[in-house]
Amino acid sequence: MTDTAPAQHTFKRNGHINYFLRCLKALPTAAQSSDSNRITAAFFCISALDLLGALYDKTSEEQRTGWIDWIWSLQAPIGGFRGSTYMTTNNDRTSPAHLPSTYTALLTLAILRAPLDQLNIPGLISFLKSCQAEDGSFSPIPGDNVYPNEGFQSDVRMVYCASVISDIIADVSGINMDRSKVFVHSCKTWEGAYASRPGLIEAQGGTTYCSIATLSVLEKSKSFIGVKETLRWLISRQIGGFQGRPGKLQDVCYSFWCGGAISILGYTNLIDRDADKSFLLSAQFPLGGFGKEPEDYPDPFHSYLALAALSLNHSNSKEAGLGLKDLNVMWNVSEDSARWLKQEINRIKRSQ
Amino acid sequence: MAAATSSYIPLAQRNLWTDIQPIPQDDGPNPVVPIMYSEEYRDAMDYFRAVAAAEERSERALELTETVIRLNPAHYTVWQYRMATLLELKKDLKEELQLMNEFAVQNLKSYQVWHHRLLLLTHISPKDPSSEVEYIHQSLLPDPKNYHTWAYLHWLYSHFYTLGRISEKHWQDETQWCEEMLGMDGRNNSAWGWRWYLRVARPEAQNGKDALKHELSYALKAIHLIPHNVSAWNYLRGLLRHFKLPLSPLLPAILPYTIRPSATVPEPSGDFDFPLPSSPLPDDTPLPVPFALEYFGDALLEQNQNMEAGEVFGQLSTQYDKMRAGYWEFRRRDCVEE
Repeated sequence: MTDTAPAQHTFKRNGHINYFLRCLKALPTAAQSSDSNRITAAFFCISALDLLGALYDKTSEEQRTGWIDWIWSLQAPIGGFRGSTYMTTNNDRTSPAHLPSTYTALLTLAILRAPLDQLNIPGLISFLKSCQAEDGSFSPIPGDNVYPNEGFQSDVRMVYCASVISDIIADVSGINMDRSKVFVHSCKTWEGAYASRPGLIEAQGGTTYCSIATLSVLEKSKSFIGVKETLRWLISRQIGGFQGRPGKLQDVCYSFWCGGAISILGYTNLIDRDADKSFLLSAQFPLGGFGKEPEDYPDPFHSYLALAALSLNHSNSKEAGLGLKDLNVMWNVSEDSARWLKQEINRIKRSQ
Repeated sequence: MAAATSSYIPLAQRNLWTDIQPIPQDDGPNPVVPIMYSEEYRDAMDYFRAVAAAEERSERALELTETVIRLNPAHYTVWQYRMATLLELKKDLKEELQLMNEFAVQNLKSYQVWHHRLLLLTHISPKDPSSEVEYIHQSLLPDPKNYHTWAYLHWLYSHFYTLGRISEKHWQDETQWCEEMLGMDGRNNSAWGWRWYLRVARPEAQNGKDALKHELSYALKAIHLIPHNVSAWNYLRGLLRHFKLPLSPLLPAILPYTIRPSATVPEPSGDFDFPLPSSPLPDDTPLPVPFALEYFGDALLEQNQNMEAGEVFGQLSTQYDKMRAGYWEFRRRDCVEE
C-alpha cells in the first residue's frame, strides 16, 4: 500500500519561499498582537528566505533597500531599536527601544548586507545598561520607577538577547557579566535544565536554549557545571519531534529550541534525526509555511524555527537534499550572514 | 451586509475626543510585514499616539489603553502607559485587579497581563495574600500546566515571604493543595516542580533526614502508582542529586521494573524501609520501564560496575528506548571505553 504516502513528506521549498514573501507584503488582522514586535516577524521571514537561499533571487534590490530604510527608522535616538513604527514619535519615554527587537533588527540588517555605519554603538551599549536589573537579568525596555527592571518579563530570554547583542558588537561593556552568569546558573531546576527565572519550578525547552546559548557566549566554553544532566533532559524531550516540557505535545519550535541547545553542547549526532525530520515535514502547510503541529495554520514564528531546525539537523545529510544554508546556532542566523556581520562590525569599529 | 463592521463608531464622532487631533501611523514608503489592522485598532492607536505624545494622564486615556490592550494584549508600550496613568491618577488598584481577573482568563499566555498583575499586587500589598493565592489556584484548574500562572504563583509566595506575610499555615495549606493537584493528575510536571519548591527549595523548607526520607518515599509511591511517570522519576533523581545521595540503596524498590514479567523479583533485605511496588506488578504495566533501567545503569556505574552498566544502556539503545538509541549508545560507550 503506497498510495497513502502523504504529500507533505516532501519538502515544499517553493511553497515556503512564497509563504514568506506573502508575509513580508502583509500579515492578517490576526497578527495584530505582533504590532509592537513587527521587526521580529520581519526577521523570521527575511532570515527564512536567507536559509532557503532565495533572498537574492526572489526579491529586488529596490525592495531590500526599502526594508533596510524601514529598519533604520526604528533605531531610537538614544540607541537600540524599537519593535515597529507603531508610535510614530521620537519621544523615547513613550516609544522606547526594545531589547528583543534590537537583537532581531541587527540580524536582519546583516542578512540584508546593510552597511552598519549608522549603527549607534555607544547608544546601544548604554541601552543595554539601562535594561539590566540588579539580579543580572534584563528587562525588555529600560526600567523606570513605574516599570522597574526587575519583573515578570526579565528572564533568560532577555539575558540571551543582551548577550548575543554584546557578542555581535564584540563589546561586553553593556552587561555586568558576573551577575548575568549567576542569574542564568540559578535558573537551573531539579530536572537539570533551565527555567525562565531563578527558583522557578519547571524547566522549558526555549528557556533552556537561551540559557545554554548565553552561558556559551559569556563563558566562552561549553564545560559549565552539570552539562550531562541538561543533555539528558534535552534528549528526553524527543518524542518524534520535540516537546517543550515533560507531558506536553510536540511542537516544531522545540525541534529548534531543544535541538539547538543539544547542538551547542556538541551532541547533534545523538538526536533521532529521521523522526525529527519526519515530524517537521508533516507540519508543513499545503500552501507553504509550518504550523506548530500537523494540521495547524502556519505563522512566521513556527515557520522560521522549523526551517532553522531543519537546517541545523539536516542540512549536512546527503539524502535529505533540503538545500538549506548552515545555521549559526548561537545567534540563530545563517553562518554566512553571521560571518558577514562580524566583518562588518570590525570594519565600522576601525573606521570610527 | 456591512452592518457588522459599520456598527463601530469612530472616536472622531464621539464627544469625548473632539479636541484631540489623531496621529496616524507613519510606516514610511517601504513598510515590512505591514499588518491589516482592524478599523477599531487603527482608530484607537491613532488617538493613543496623540494622547501619549502629549503625555496626557486622564480617565479617557485609561479607557483608550483598555480598548487597545483588549485588541492587542501584547502591547507593552500601552500597558506601561496604563500603569503610569493609574498611579498618577491615584486610581483604586483593587478595581484594576478586578478588571484583570476578567482579562487574565482570555489572555493567560500574555507576559504583559501577568507583569501588570505583579505590579498591582506590589502596590496594593495586601497584609495577607490568601485571596490572590485562591484566585490563582482557581485559574489553574482549566489550564493546569500554564507556565505563566505557575511562575506568578511562585513570585507571589517569594515576594510575600520576604515581606514576612507567609505563615507556616500558608505553607501547609499550599502543600496540601499541591498534593491535591498531583492527585488529580500525577503526571503534571508543573505541580511536581511546585512540590519541589514547597518541600525542598523554598526558604525554611525542612531539609532534615526525616523530611528527605518522606520525599523519597513520596516519589517512590508515585512511581508505584504510575510506573512510566517521567516527572516522578525525575523528582526522585533530582532529590538524590540535590542531596548528593547514592542511587544504590533504593534499588530494591526499582529493580522489579527492570525485568521481564516472567523473571523473579529480588527480595529486599530486612531493613529496607521504603515503599515497594506491588508484587506481582499489575498486568497493565509494560516492562521493563526504561526509567528504571536507566536508574539501574547509573547505580551500577556508581558502584564502578562499568561493564554491567554498559550492558544496561546497550539494552536501552537496541531494545527499550529506540527513540534515544544514539544517546544510550553514547552512554554505553562512555562506560566501556573508560
